[in-house]
Order: sequence, then C-alpha cells, then structure tokens
Amino acid sequence: MPQVYFEDVQEGQEIPEIKKNCSTQQLVLWAAGSGDFYQIHYDKDFAQGTGLPGLIVHGALKHAFLGQLVHDWIGPGGQIRKFGCSYRGMDYPNQDIRCRGVVKKKFTENGKNLVELDVWTENPDGKKTSPGTATVALPSKA
Amino acid sequence: MADVFEVTDEIKAQYGKETEPWVSEVTTTSVRMYARGIGSTDPLHYDVDYAKSQGFRSIVAPMGYVGTPVFHPDTNDGTFGFPRRGGGARLNLPTKGLLDGGTETEYFDYICAGDTLVETSHLAEVKVRGNMVFVTNEAVFKDQATGKVVAKQRLTSIHLG
Amino acid sequence: MADQTYFEDVKEGQELPSFTIAPDKQQLVKFAAGSGDFNPLHFDEKFPMLKAMGLQDNIVHGRFKYAQVGRLVFAFAGPKGRVKKFGVSYRGMDLIGKPITVKGVVTATRKDGGENLIDLDVWTEDADGKKTTPGTATVILPSKG
Repeated sequence: MPQVYFEDVQEGQEIPEIKKNCSTQQLVLWAAGSGDFYQIHYDKDFAQGTGLPGLIVHGALKHAFLGQLVHDWIGPGGQIRKFGCSYRGMDYPNQDIRCRGVVKKKFTENGKNLVELDVWTENPDGKKTSPGTATVALPSKA
Repeated sequence: MADVFEVTDEIKAQYGKETEPWVSEVTTTSVRMYARGIGSTDPLHYDVDYAKSQGFRSIVAPMGYVGTPVFHPDTNDGTFGFPRRGGGARLNLPTKGLLDGGTETEYFDYICAGDTLVETSHLAEVKVRGNMVFVTNEAVFKDQATGKVVAKQRLTSIHLG
Repeated sequence: MADQTYFEDVKEGQELPSFTIAPDKQQLVKFAAGSGDFNPLHFDEKFPMLKAMGLQDNIVHGRFKYAQVGRLVFAFAGPKGRVKKFGVSYRGMDLIGKPITVKGVVTATRKDGGENLIDLDVWTEDADGKKTTPGTATVILPSKG
C-alpha cells in the first residue's frame, strides 16, 4: 500500500472508500471477535421479537469498518489520533455498506501534521447510518 | 444405493503421510471462550488462581478443546477454521453435505492456558457406504516446550454425495 | 467444584450424575466463537445446505455434544483424577433448542500399570431417549490408600 503524505492531502478530498456487505456468518464472526452475543444480530425471531424488521449489523462493527477505512488510508507511516462515530441508522446483512471519508481540515500543531476527516457509513439509499470524525497524523515528505 | 465414491490406490497411498506441523497457542482467552461456548461455569476453566490452587499450571482447557485452531486468513478455512494443509483437502470428496462422524481424544496430560501445541496429522482411512464417505484423520499434539505428546485425536468426517 | 471421587468408591453399573441442556442459538453462536467452527448450518435457518440435507432447523455441532460429554467425564475425574481417553460417534442429529441429556455409566473398574482406571459408557440422548452421541471414556481416579 503506498504511503500517503501530508503534502499530498487537500481539504475536501475524498479518501478511497471501502465497500462492505455482511453475510450472517460475518455477523457471527464479529460476535466471536467482540464477545457481543446479543441475538438481534444472528437470531431472526429474536430480532423481530424486539420490533426490528430483521437481523441488523452491529454498530460496533460499522465503527470497526470505519477504523479499517482510516487505517488503510493512512498507511504504515500514519497514526490515528482520534476516531469515533455515532449510530444514526440501521444496516442489514446482505446489503451494501459504503464506508467513506472526506478531508475536512489539515493543519500543523506541535510539530505534528494533522488531518481531520469526516467519515461515515452509507446505506444503499445514500443515508449516512454511522457518521463520525477522525483525526490522523501523517508523515511529511520533507 | 451405489457407492458415490471410490477409494482409489492413489487415496490409499496418502494414508499415514504426516502433514507439516501446525502450531497453536492455548491462551487464557481461548480457553475461556471455549468454556463459554460449551456453557460451562467450572472455575477451573476461568479462574487462574483457583486452577493453580487445585494443582494445575493455569486454567484447564475443557475436554474437547484439543484441535481448536488458531486462525490465519492465508492458511485456514474461512468457515471451519481448520488449517488447510493438503492431506484430506485433495481427495476430491463429494460436497453435497458435510457432517461430523466422530471424535476421540486420548490425553497424556491436561492442556492448560500458556501451553503451545504442535500438531501433526495424517489421513488414516477413507470408507464409503452408499452416498456417505467416511474420512478419518489422526492427529498428534505435542507440547512445544517439552516435546512430549499430550494428546492424540481421531476425527471422522462424513462427506455426502 | 464437586468433591473428589476416589477409585474405591466406584462400582460397576454406577451412573454418573447426568445433566440436561437445550442449547439455543446464542449458545451455538458462542460455541462457534469458542471452537472456530463458523458453519452457518448451526445458526442460519436460511442456510441452503439445511434444506438440501432435509433438516427443519439448525442442528447442534457434533463437537458441542462431544464437549458436553467432556464436561461429564471431567467433573467425574475431579481435580485429582484425569480423563485418559474419551470418544463418541455422531449417530443422530439434535435440533437447536431441543433437550439433550448427557449420561454415563461405569462399565469396569481396573488397575493397569499402577493406574486406577474406570471405563465408562457415555452418551447424549434426545427427548425420545435416542442415543445420538454414544461413546466410551476411560478416567484415572486417585486412590484413598
């Protein structure tokens, strides 16, 4: 993966998106990895019993996807300083989840080259289901 | 029903051929996760101090744990988790269904968190009954630190054609 | 933890304390997590192979039942004993949520190479009493002497 440098980044620039589409198996793998075994993510009857239309994707999994988005972009020389999102809409298994980000601001502080991003997951209707922000430090070419 | 599969001499020639060694660390997390998976609340599987007070090195892996693989995306099966190491993988077995036929484990010592196991296995036998192909593999688990055999396991899977 | 059982206390024909479980989907998902076996046969009721195999619902992992037999013999061996060997074959499927009773009975007590050995028949049975996972085990027990 090529390293992105501070000098290459422009405000307003979109970073390379990643696309996800979770199988039910993926949700169970996430339950295993995270230790969150709440049944709304793999037991359809249980999910519907709580009033949901069906199985839903874990919010924390979408958070992790956004983490992957940023991690992949900054490359081995970058560093995630701050990162978070909120859960505003549900995503469902076997449906595309676009993970996107755009550069909001770049600045230098205490000798660090910092970039602030808006990041979000987007459902097939274009709704931002998990909007968030990230601050990363990037290496300089100099 | 006619047999769906033939045990060829080529397959028989694979009997007894050992796979490359496969290393797996037994960790406190993996032992607790397995214990949680079987619904056990025995503190011997969760509480290190308690397990030590009962004479064990650390928390004890539940019976049945042996063979639980560590996962690496390049080498393990994405669904079953087991390492793909040739052997049974190239038998061209029927794929309409897959069932577990049987499991037998012989223990020479209990396995505890902190152990590192080195496993080798080989194809022991392939049998066909109608649309069912019974494939038996035998595995030996050694403790990496001492080189001692800690467990032997015989696994039979049933491939449906 | 149960009290320690000693070799001298065990008689042929003696039954081990049995227990019954009815694993739900969450339990099987936890087992997938613990064992690394993520076959959707055990948690996705729409998984195509279920229908292909003529099954009405998700089935319990064979290795889950094996581990339940493991719990039975591990508890019987106690902290001073040791499970020497145990094996089962998977003869019948158990559907998710249905009761599974885990049982064992002593078939022999013997001494071999300085070890006090107990041979057992072990199995799981379904609500109809069918042995879906029959097997055998050998446990080493401490002696009072």
